[in-house]
Amino acid sequence: MAAFPSASPSPAISASTWRMASPRAALPALRPSPGGRLRSSFAPAAAASVGCLGSFSGLAPVSNLLSLGAENSSFEHRLFGIDARGRIVAMRHGRRVPKLNRPPDQRKALLRGLTTQLLKHGRIKTTKPRAKAMRKYVEKMITLAKDGSLHKRRQALAFIYEKHIVHALFAEVADRYGDREGGYTRIIPTFPRRGDNAPMAYIELV
Amino acid sequence: MAAHVDPLVVGMVIGDVVDLFVRTVAMSVRFGTKDLTNGCEIKPSMAAAAPAVQIAGRANDLFTLVMTDPDAPSPSEPTMRELIHWLVVNIPGGADPCQGETVMPYLGPCPPVGIHRYVLVVYQQKARFMAPPALAPGVEVEASRARFRNRAFADRHDLGLPVAAMYFNAQKELANRHRPPR
Repeated sequence: MAAFPSASPSPAISASTWRMASPRAALPALRPSPGGRLRSSFAPAAAASVGCLGSFSGLAPVSNLLSLGAENSSFEHRLFGIDARGRIVAMRHGRRVPKLNRPPDQRKALLRGLTTQLLKHGRIKTTKPRAKAMRKYVEKMITLAKDGSLHKRRQALAFIYEKHIVHALFAEVADRYGDREGGYTRIIPTFPRRGDNAPMAYIELV
Repeated sequence: MAAHVDPLVVGMVIGDVVDLFVRTVAMSVRFGTKDLTNGCEIKPSMAAAAPAVQIAGRANDLFTLVMTDPDAPSPSEPTMRELIHWLVVNIPGGADPCQGETVMPYLGPCPPVGIHRYVLVVYQQKARFMAPPALAPGVEVEASRARFRNRAFADRHDLGLPVAAMYFNAQKELANRHRPPR
């Protein structure tokens, strides 16, 4: 089944003509997101732990802290990462690759599967870190399709598990994304999952 | 930043289905025991029966309720956009849709592929509809539910902008598959 529409989107609304300021002004104010409150409660904890670290010097205490820090980070979703010097950092500074708690081969397979499913169904629901990690690969596939040459097609076939999806993508990407430069996906957060309270999100092709 | 944007805008309901509007009427929708919020996930089996909809307003006001699926048959290929599921007119304010006239009987969500949005839009009528309104010029009411256009419908019957809207998501439920033990 083809994954992409042959009809062009409705001309009545194009996203580029809005600015987010007008919906915000026109519509009634909503309750603030709970994320804001969560972030502010974490910040004092992080500042306190980094402050304690700063006062230590010498090798033996640092190695103790390293082991403690590693336990903490594996327990709590990597709230505190360890950089190359062995210091604990609470922010995302310098972290480029989302590891998704998997070894590299499994990670690649997971992302390949997720992009295949997104291109097949148009909108999927998954956990928020996976959705954010996926964006890069989905957009890369769409960029390959926009180029359209044989070499790019073979590169796409090497990544996506189902070849009819690749052929449908190459056939219809010009109509759908011809004018759009980048930003082919959208992530919409939603309610957390019941079993483990994982933050979920819908990711969809724009 | 995202917290201040209306969920209808984030979910692209405003844009795909209706134009930007100001919500003036409160609406509450309930499937069985579950109250609806924008973007929540509802199983098709729970939504098989028509929901209980309460539209706030004075009894003199008349409202039209439309429920459509803008992602038919699949969100990546919405060729049948929109599929109309329910159309009720002449609903008095503060009442259920069962007190109005049903033009299109309720059809539960049946998404074949992907996760579909189902949008309920309420318009305020300026006058009572005497004859059942035509969905498209020169087309019988029962003909086809596909290719419905909310904006064209509102323009044709002079309904103006919507006064309330809500949407939910639904995807095909997997039947229980018996997995052989490994």
